Amino acid sequence: MIKNYLTLALKVLRRKPFYTFVSLFGISFTLMILMLITSMGDAMFGANPPMTDVNKMVFLPQAERILQFYDTTYVVDSVRMDDGRMRYDSTANVREGGMNNSTGNLAFHFLDQTLRGLDRVASYTFYSNDGFVDAYLDGRKLTMSTCYTDADYWEVFDFDFLYGQPFTADAVAGADKVVVITEVVAREYFGEVTADVIGREIALGRERFTVAGIVARPYKDDDSINGDVFMPYTTIDNRKLQSDNISGPFNAVFKAEDKAHTAGIIDEIHFIAETYDMSGDEDYEILKLTAATATEKMAAEIMQEDDLRQAKLLLFIPLITLLTLFVALPLINLINLSVSRVYERRSEIAVRKAFGADSRSILYQFLFENMVLTVIGGLIGLALALLLIRYINANDLLGIVRLAFSARVFVYFLLLIAVFGLLSGLLPALRMSRTNVADALR
Amino acid sequence: MIELTNVSKSYRTDTIETLALQRLNLSVPDGEFLSIMGPSGCGKSTLLNIMGLIDEPSEGSVVLAGQPVTSYNGSKVARFRNEQLGFIFQSFHLINDLSVVDNVELPLLYRKMGGKERRRLALDALERVGLSNRATHFPNQLSGGQKQRVAIARAIVGRPNIILADEPTGNLDSHMGGEIMDILTRLNTDLGTTIVMVTHDERMARMTHRLVRLSDGERVS
Ligand SMILES: Nc1ncnc2c1ncn2[C@@H]1O[C@H](COP(=O)(O)OP(=O)(O)OP(=O)(O)O)[C@@H](O)[C@H]1O
Ligand SMILES: [Mg+2]
Repeated sequence: MIKNYLTLALKVLRRKPFYTFVSLFGISFTLMILMLITSMGDAMFGANPPMTDVNKMVFLPQAERILQFYDTTYVVDSVRMDDGRMRYDSTANVREGGMNNSTGNLAFHFLDQTLRGLDRVASYTFYSNDGFVDAYLDGRKLTMSTCYTDADYWEVFDFDFLYGQPFTADAVAGADKVVVITEVVAREYFGEVTADVIGREIALGRERFTVAGIVARPYKDDDSINGDVFMPYTTIDNRKLQSDNISGPFNAVFKAEDKAHTAGIIDEIHFIAETYDMSGDEDYEILKLTAATATEKMAAEIMQEDDLRQAKLLLFIPLITLLTLFVALPLINLINLSVSRVYERRSEIAVRKAFGADSRSILYQFLFENMVLTVIGGLIGLALALLLIRYINANDLLGIVRLAFSARVFVYFLLLIAVFGLLSGLLPALRMSRTNVADALR
Repeated sequence: MIELTNVSKSYRTDTIETLALQRLNLSVPDGEFLSIMGPSGCGKSTLLNIMGLIDEPSEGSVVLAGQPVTSYNGSKVARFRNEQLGFIFQSFHLINDLSVVDNVELPLLYRKMGGKERRRLALDALERVGLSNRATHFPNQLSGGQKQRVAIARAIVGRPNIILADEPTGNLDSHMGGEIMDILTRLNTDLGTTIVMVTHDERMARMTHRLVRLSDGERVS
């Protein structure tokens, strides 16, 4: 029986190459686009290496120092309520003024002094990654982004070491000239990504570093991990390390023992900022530390909005709306195609009924046609998505980030398409299977 | 045995009501070859559709093989159509997406039957209407007369007890028409198939057992 329906479906689909092509194209292209969007979303928001514990992380992207000042005081006439009576008051003061502020990353010294040993923090790292360094290779200049950090960095982030090892706390303490490079740098600079690269020297700027390890490209897009070369922070220009100032080139990431503790850690950081003694600061009186979870930080960066809650709403509401539309539009298209196909075949359905088909066989017929389309379209979509993701990864179209293909997500989307395909084919077919045969055949 | 009692059929459009059949009584005993004649629009196709359970009468009762027909949907009526009835429609109604032999196989698809057996019976039926050599063609590659013969093959392939034929020779030359009449007559005499045939051709009508004339939805003889 199943074989009958299957051969029938294949026969009909072969007879209608244009319709079949359009349907397959619709299904496979929809799948491909959905897969691309989700893998990009996954790279942005997902918990992927080297940020598998991203949900436990608290980021300290920057500090804001503020000075509020009042340069004018007005005395205004006003009416105020006093003991239930209105009194004329000519002494009310209104102060007007302004605000100076300075926003930036943090000084290592400040982090070192104030943010070690927070409660519920499993591991944490300080790093500076807003610089670049040039390497010269056969007259060619390679510009690489640097990340100066401590040994705990490799604890917080689970980089995939293809070869070699992270640098140790001892190496950091000794300010050893060692470096961890990405596979991209290894390929560019050494022409190979092999164990042979470990122990070789790379000239960065005016200094030579020994390669300690090669890490795979991340599956995650975040500025805390997107360096090309990673070196002990002790090898950074000394002036950047030894400032007594609050602001400097460093950031911090704290990994909580558990996701639930992130809010507490953020509160503690805010508390530290509030109670921080600013008397040493000549220009400012108030210190604010922007501690944020990954999503808050991401939203704030994309939306250029300082209020984190606001930023999250601003980012996610349109994003989710847009995504829904992205999913809905091709689906509506498929539904339309599927519905009109059933209606087009009203007389065929009537003929089948006249010769003894019951509603169930009519439904089965359309079910199988839809299933065949979905399966073939799904396979093509799978191939397209894999090819596209591979192409993007191979050509570094998204910078250093690698896209991952999630089979689970693919199956979800395939099911989604199958469900909509079935509904859109079966509901009209159900209606049609009940129509009066004579009317349909007139 | 087909028994229609006081069957009326009316079509209602916005402005007018057309009475396609008016209080019609007709009974067709098993094994009869009956012809129906009448001017265009007098309700012949409507009558055939009601006898074939693909249209509901507005009033009156239909009894087929001793069973009063109450439902026009569902698997019971479907099985009845499949096993007892064979249609030859006035305008063929072949499925253009299926090859000739697949079209002929169609009624067998709704029976428990292997693919090989189905194919054999379909080719057999095509052979009987003289179209074996067109089995793999598609309907839009056939002439009107050839389509008509495919439609006949489809109607007879399942060996139904009753064949309802709406002008089965209307599109054929007299020679071909004669052959079709031969096929139907042989079905009737050899297998005892009941045949109800609408025709405009007096000579064809004379070859059947009985002639019923309609005029304006009423039986006049
Ligand atoms: N769906 C409908 N709506 C309105 N009127 C209809 C409908 N179907 C049929 N009729 C009318 O019912 C009458 C009988 O139609 P029917 O098709 O049975 O005629 P017929 O005898 O088969 O004619 P012909 O010889 O031309 O095939 C006609 O007047 C026709 O206009
Ligand atoms: Mg007619």
